[in-house]
Amino acid sequence: MKHYAVVHGPNLNMLGKREVGIYGGRTMESINADVEAEARRLGVTVEFYQSNAEGELVTFIQNCRGRTDGILLNAGAYTHYSVALRDGIGAAAVPTVEVHISNVYKREAFRHVSMIAPVCIGQICGFGPYSYILGLRALIEERLDPWLA
Amino acid sequence: MKKKSFLVVSGPNMNLLGTRKTSIYGAGTLEDIHRSLHERAGELGVDVECVQFNGEGAIIDCLQEAPGRFDGVIINAGALAHYSYALRSAIGAMLLPCVEVFISNVHAREEFRHTSVIAPVCVGVIAGFGKKSYLLALDALANLGAA
Repeated sequence: MKHYAVVHGPNLNMLGKREVGIYGGRTMESINADVEAEARRLGVTVEFYQSNAEGELVTFIQNCRGRTDGILLNAGAYTHYSVALRDGIGAAAVPTVEVHISNVYKREAFRHVSMIAPVCIGQICGFGPYSYILGLRALIEERLDPWLA
Repeated sequence: MKKKSFLVVSGPNMNLLGTRKTSIYGAGTLEDIHRSLHERAGELGVDVECVQFNGEGAIIDCLQEAPGRFDGVIINAGALAHYSYALRSAIGAMLLPCVEVFISNVHAREEFRHTSVIAPVCVGVIAGFGKKSYLLALDALANLGAA
């Protein structure tokens, strides 16, 4: 059975508690429950990880190498400036999908740049918690994927 | 409840899918994408109409006619995404949810492709998953308001 890591970066542990106008009222735990349910429906397993610390995220992602079939990553603000995270994803050599809850392109200019996007398969942003569900489908629905090698 | 209906618009050069730069865009054709979208729409219980234009003005005409006929729009604007302010205005004027898609991961390509002038007027963006980008966008539109 395929196994995926769902990784939340800084401040995502505060979901549902901060800036609900941007990020919505759902907590990280309830989003994880949705992802877990979708994983079950699709016949795969998932594990969840959250850290506020850049170094811990890098270490976790490095350790995904050879252990997971893909990573669903919401790197939060680190997305926009962490070269270390980018290198970690590159080093892990595990297919990674970048997700964001908000449409980052509607927000401040510094959020329009993603350091990690070039080393990810692709990016999904703007669909609230559903961005994670789409991200998981992007990683695993191989029946929809006769194109990508 | 009335069945939801979505418009899928592909921009310049998408009619050449499967025949050019297949290492970037894949070997499938636009017709393959449209067929898959119709299948997925059936599974989701929604309708889709799929069109393609090379002309910026033709896309704008099409978008202006969308309100009242469709509940949302999926757009792969191709190269226009990176510079067409007219397209941006047309999307904004529709007042319909619009999802921007790209077949390729534009962020892994030339720098001029890293900016989308239409992304700020879209609900969200899905890029990099080949044909799947369109199918995920349909999931996203069908799910809007549900979560």
